[in-house]
Amino acid sequence: METVLAAQGDTWGIPGPTFLAIFAGAAVALVIAALIHRAVLFAGHHTPVDRLGPQQVAYLNGGDRLAVYSSLAGLRAAGAIEVGPGRTLTASGPMPAGATPLDQAVYNAAGQRVRARDVDGDQWVRMALTTLRDDLERRGLAPSEGTRQAARAVPFLMLVLLGLGVVRLVAGIAGGKPVGYLVVLTIVWALVTLIVFRTIPTRTRAARRALDELRRQHTYLAPSMTPAWATYGAAGLALGVGLYGAASLWQADAAFAEEAEIQRQYASTAGTGGYYGGSGGDSGGSSSGGGDGGSSCGGGGGCGGGCGGGCGG
Amino acid sequence: MTVPSGAGGASGPRAASHPAASPGPAALPAMAGSSGLGRASGAGGGLAAGGGASGAGGAFGGDGAFGVGIGWRPEIAGFVAALPGLRFTEVIAESVPASGPVPAPLAALRDAGTAVIPHGVKLSLGGAEPVDPARVAHLAAAARQLDAPLVSEHIAFVRAGGLEAGHLLPLPRSREAVDAVVANVARAQAELPVPIALEPIAAIFDWPDDELDEAAFLTEILDRTGALLLLDIANVYANARNRGTEPTDLLDRLPLDRVAYVHVAGGAEHDGVYHDTHTDAVPPQVLDLVTELCARHRPPALMLERDGHYPPADTLRTELDAIATASGYPVVT
Repeated sequence: METVLAAQGDTWGIPGPTFLAIFAGAAVALVIAALIHRAVLFAGHHTPVDRLGPQQVAYLNGGDRLAVYSSLAGLRAAGAIEVGPGRTLTASGPMPAGATPLDQAVYNAAGQRVRARDVDGDQWVRMALTTLRDDLERRGLAPSEGTRQAARAVPFLMLVLLGLGVVRLVAGIAGGKPVGYLVVLTIVWALVTLIVFRTIPTRTRAARRALDELRRQHTYLAPSMTPAWATYGAAGLALGVGLYGAASLWQADAAFAEEAEIQRQYASTAGTGGYYGGSGGDSGGSSSGGGDGGSSCGGGGGCGGGCGGGCGG
Repeated sequence: MTVPSGAGGASGPRAASHPAASPGPAALPAMAGSSGLGRASGAGGGLAAGGGASGAGGAFGGDGAFGVGIGWRPEIAGFVAALPGLRFTEVIAESVPASGPVPAPLAALRDAGTAVIPHGVKLSLGGAEPVDPARVAHLAAAARQLDAPLVSEHIAFVRAGGLEAGHLLPLPRSREAVDAVVANVARAQAELPVPIALEPIAAIFDWPDDELDEAAFLTEILDRTGALLLLDIANVYANARNRGTEPTDLLDRLPLDRVAYVHVAGGAEHDGVYHDTHTDAVPPQVLDLVTELCARHRPPALMLERDGHYPPADTLRTELDAIATASGYPVVT
């Protein structure tokens, strides 16, 4: 008798435990679907690492901003630019031989006394960054905007499920039903959905493997080795910034970095790698860069070392 | 890592035929280590550390002189790794982890056949108290991990009465000091798997009660321990210049056949005193002294010792080439 009464009182005619089970089952299925979808979308194409320049590495590691930082570092180390009054860039020497299009754009912006922190908004710099990104997309290292859109399909379904949970919750509360488990499940699901949205990769798995490989080949550029930047030259510093983040530029030329308002920790790997980091420990993808430079590894903390395997994806 | 022709096994005859080498009777035994003549124990770790008559060439294994090298430091690890002809390097022993895997850059060098020599700086062989067994054990462990053909340390003390000086301090050249050093070297040799080379340090001052001059002091220590000599040619220059003596006088009196390898470093003059800084360019006078040394008896290996204020790679390569030219060894760059 009691069960019948309870059944009649169920929200939408579905008993609470049944709804929870359906909800959880759908959630698990969506997470699996999201992972598989990503694995397919972001596989990328293998590229020999010796065909990647410092700024391309920097873009893959930390987006537009790190690419610009890498260019600034190379130009600075070559004596081509400095920071003048009002934290504006100025040209202090000839443009170095072998300057990339991005270098030329940044150098040009320096000639027009653009503020250092605004240089990535300069029109010519923007064009150079677009060219850089397009090239990396063609080579299967950076995902195209279309791919990133497609990667939001499953997370969007997750959002729909979240909405369903919230509606059920409201209805349950209105009907005076116990909703404790549903509250917990909905909160957890909201977090999962948020994470899945926030961790849409900015580089393909092929790109991540290339970065890991480059970090293995260039452990000597890790900030923990306190590299002799004068010895490695402008190209070494540009690559160091690309692989290990803005901390390398601060290490090489703190006065310039400060005046140019370089974000010290931008895309900086967390002090690992190098001499004492042991083998392979330098691949921690934790990135403290804002927004598009973010790690694709999700949880951050658990990524060190094993990142090359399959976290995120 | 490619080795240019001429830097390999053929370097024995090359060395003997080089005009600067002019091997006299004293020079030949050490060369024998390189050409494999009559030194059955010449293969690396097989060489007994205590063998009083052991020539320096044998300590580097049976396959000859190692030519020009550079001290490995984390800051220039990428530069060192990229030297195509490098056959030996040196690493600060205390920076090699006592356990666990060898740091990757050093393991790569070792695996590519470059000899990596642990260079201790904190053993305090010249201390009045016995050397710390834990420090000796660490040096021995580093030698094993790196497959090192030998290790090196300083004839100096860095602590006394429980106080750490933080610097290498010179010993008074007394018979008592010789006894103390000899006892400590023997303690270290008992635990080390490979020979040890001892490096005299630069001394800005002399102790007032010196009983022995530098050559006699070093020769006695080497004779009584059977250890090899790590000769810092920049120190020889610095000491002679600051004391107003001829640096070649010391070279003439040292047992040069016992030199395992040579440190070549830069320095600078401040207030009339020449400082062996390791952070400046190698002056031409030091390179001239390298040539003088090699004319008397060419050591099996010479290395650039740079510890800071690292210059652009081209400048470092030029310095390495200058050492190669001064010594007659093949360039490694």
